[in-house]
Amino acid sequence: MAAYETEVLIIGGGIAGTTIARELSKYKTDAMLVEKEMDFGQGITKSSSTIVNQGCNVVTFRPEYHNSRLVWAGMPLMEPLCKELQVPYKKIGSLTLFKNRAGMRRPNKLLSRFDEWSKKYLPHAKPLQLIDNDTLHNWEPNISKDFIGAVYDPNIAITDPVRLTIALAENAGQNGIGIMPDTKVLGIATGTEKFVVQTNKGTIKSRYIINAAGEYVVKIAREINADDFVLYPVKSYMAVLDKKVGNLLAHMVTSEEHGTVNPSVHGNLFFGISPGSQRLGKIHDHATDKIIADAALEHARKLVPAISKKDIINSWVGFIMYRNFEMGWHECSVGVSRWVPRFINASIGFPGICAAPAAAQEVIDLLAQEGLQLAQNPDFNPNRKAAPIFHELSDDEKRQLIASDRRYGQIICRCETVTEGEIVEAIKNGARSLDGVKFRCRPGMGRCQGGFCGPKVTRILARELGISPEEVTKKGDGSHYALYKSKELLEAE
Amino acid sequence: MNLQGMDIDVAVIGAGPAGMAAAIKAREKGAENVLIIERDTRLGGLLHQCIHNGFGLLYFGENLTGPEYSHRFTEKLLDTGARALLETMVLRISGEKEITAVNRRDGLFTIKPKSIVLAMGCRERSRGNINLHGTRPAGVLTAGTAQRLVNIEGFLPGKKIVILGTGDIGMIMARRLTLEGAEVKAAVEILPYAGGLIRNEVQCLHDFKIPVFLQHTVTKIYGEKRVRAVDIAALDANNNPIPETKRTIECDTLLLSVGLIPENELSTAAGIKLDPVTGGAVVNEARQTNVEGIFAGGNVLHVHDLVDNVSWESEIAGEYAARFAGGKKPPAGQITLKAGRNIRYVLPQIISGKNNVDLYLRVREPQKKVIIKMGGIQVGKTIPGVKPSSMIKLDLSAEDQQKFKRNEIVIDCLTKGD
Repeated sequence: MAAYETEVLIIGGGIAGTTIARELSKYKTDAMLVEKEMDFGQGITKSSSTIVNQGCNVVTFRPEYHNSRLVWAGMPLMEPLCKELQVPYKKIGSLTLFKNRAGMRRPNKLLSRFDEWSKKYLPHAKPLQLIDNDTLHNWEPNISKDFIGAVYDPNIAITDPVRLTIALAENAGQNGIGIMPDTKVLGIATGTEKFVVQTNKGTIKSRYIINAAGEYVVKIAREINADDFVLYPVKSYMAVLDKKVGNLLAHMVTSEEHGTVNPSVHGNLFFGISPGSQRLGKIHDHATDKIIADAALEHARKLVPAISKKDIINSWVGFIMYRNFEMGWHECSVGVSRWVPRFINASIGFPGICAAPAAAQEVIDLLAQEGLQLAQNPDFNPNRKAAPIFHELSDDEKRQLIASDRRYGQIICRCETVTEGEIVEAIKNGARSLDGVKFRCRPGMGRCQGGFCGPKVTRILARELGISPEEVTKKGDGSHYALYKSKELLEAE
Repeated sequence: MNLQGMDIDVAVIGAGPAGMAAAIKAREKGAENVLIIERDTRLGGLLHQCIHNGFGLLYFGENLTGPEYSHRFTEKLLDTGARALLETMVLRISGEKEITAVNRRDGLFTIKPKSIVLAMGCRERSRGNINLHGTRPAGVLTAGTAQRLVNIEGFLPGKKIVILGTGDIGMIMARRLTLEGAEVKAAVEILPYAGGLIRNEVQCLHDFKIPVFLQHTVTKIYGEKRVRAVDIAALDANNNPIPETKRTIECDTLLLSVGLIPENELSTAAGIKLDPVTGGAVVNEARQTNVEGIFAGGNVLHVHDLVDNVSWESEIAGEYAARFAGGKKPPAGQITLKAGRNIRYVLPQIISGKNNVDLYLRVREPQKKVIIKMGGIQVGKTIPGVKPSSMIKLDLSAEDQQKFKRNEIVIDCLTKGD
């Protein structure tokens, strides 16, 4: 088993951990990031609705909440970050719908509250607008006629959280952070001056630990009695619809009681029940169930009646980790453990995508406060070049790309028009599993969910990684795509 | 060959049984330049993975395997001098019949044939389409994907199998996996009867003593990384699971055989109107869509249960596509056919009233001793029994059509004597 020594160890390669790693790579530090899964962003991050949202239209956001302040501070950082890393980012705006005059009281309150808070916390945000019935249905003809108006927030955007997470990990790696996927923390002990962390890849000694383990943040903290907080997992449900109904909406749409429906950067629609439904989940139980799925669909259809069950191509659950849930607060937990010095918990709250950049800056401050010497990294390069995306190119660009590499002429995923060239590039950039390839360049994300391309991507992975196809997994050990060779069971008898 | 701007009479998209039959017929009917475009590495489409027999009983009067059936058409196709482009994906078709496609060799190119036959076939409904609940581990796959894995790729998905849905591919895979040494622990069907052909039910399920759970469904999938078990439960009259009947079956694989969807994304983008019931284009007796010069045949039009009918139907499309390329338009549609009592759909949806036509029908529910009436007039003989999984083929003579008094004719499936 290998032994590693470092100054800072980040546990968790979701949006929180990778943003921290990338922020840390701006300084000359010896740091590592470990992620237990084969790829990044495969926990809470991938269950996100993909919305970049400052949360001002949600009553649970207040200046006195650390979570809210992080989200507000992170909001203006998102677009430049996505641009540097060449990750999709699209401002779509949101519409918070209301039904009648009585329902207008709330929007008015929202507007005045936003005016007051945005001056202090969101100085660059564009003001909210009240949208009348005609404008609303002119903008969004597929919204239920039950709604007579909306609060329009032009600041809301969408991104691809998993691509962002992977890009952050890649960029942090390029700037000197040791990035280790498929590395699971098995135990943490205090040593002389350094923590001693046991993993499946060997021992890592580190002076500082940043616990960004998402769903597992309490479990990791408990390893060394640094769990001076209680988290409550709130289960959320999301479903994705076929691209053929992707044009039903242009904005993110929500109402007080009906969850959200929003376009994705890839042209699908997502719908889901927001955390507002306050549904506590059993932690680590990732099963969808009929009750939550039916409820989500019913809510979505109240917003956009044309949404149909038959257009759902996939669905999943995720967790939002809240503190003090029983008091109706929505709070995160970012700070040095009160009981274990040099151990920083970074459970960043909701929505984590936009809380992450500000949380990462705070974590850097906390490291400095705990004594870490931080000098600027003169070689830091903020830019990361994204791999080509065939179907987004013009015909001429497609021709040029194929001429430069013939594998871009071979379509592997029919639903999402993904080429062999893109898949090979994804593997070159670190994909090791079917999900790794899928979240990087989308084969299997479409309407047939990998029925057509699954065997083909399996072959390409095996070929590029130099393994046999039955060693290929969906998402790491124990998730093999095919378990046996033909005739293998007969020979065993 | 230089593809860009190439002079093509008929372009056929897809070289499965439908595309091959259409291309052959187009050549036979005088189309000079016929080009067939196929995304796979060889001609034949899904027939290659259908290594069981039962193909060609009607078309050839012989019992062939899928590859054998494919081989007959492949040989013939090459003899006709039609040209084939393999490993080539069509990216779009415009309403002006311009096809943009891509492959390694030729890159991205555009052709403008005089007519087009759509023969893209169908795809399987996936887990998301049927809202299957539980976790999302590896080991949940469609029956057709499993068939490809076992018969083409040389792998077994697992050894303890539950199959949801009793479509033909599902039943065939139950037998196939049993023969490979896997244990098929249950075939679960929502309906009170098996979904596919009766011969498959007998030869693939009953002969191999596979436990069949009718009016049941899978209610939950367990396992984080790989399928560990599934819950199944009986359904009440409203198709809701009855909690007391829930049982957990340990397995490592869940196969889905829950229906096929004609693959028409290219068609819709070309402005072709689809029938919401079949999922395929609305066509006339020439199998011409609402876009002049674009024809369709086989499973892209409606899901067949026998490949023989796929071939026959696509020959119609191929013939009229060749004629269109030669400047002859198909007979104008006069009469619209509508599904009536216990009829799910009828194809073609539009007829001219002037030619003998083969009608393809599907019923909604099983029914015994039936007669088919069109506009109140009986067509054909009494049929001993019908079920949704077995397509009914009906000869409709030009003479019969002259009796029709309206330009919208309702087709009913009635119990004899009613």
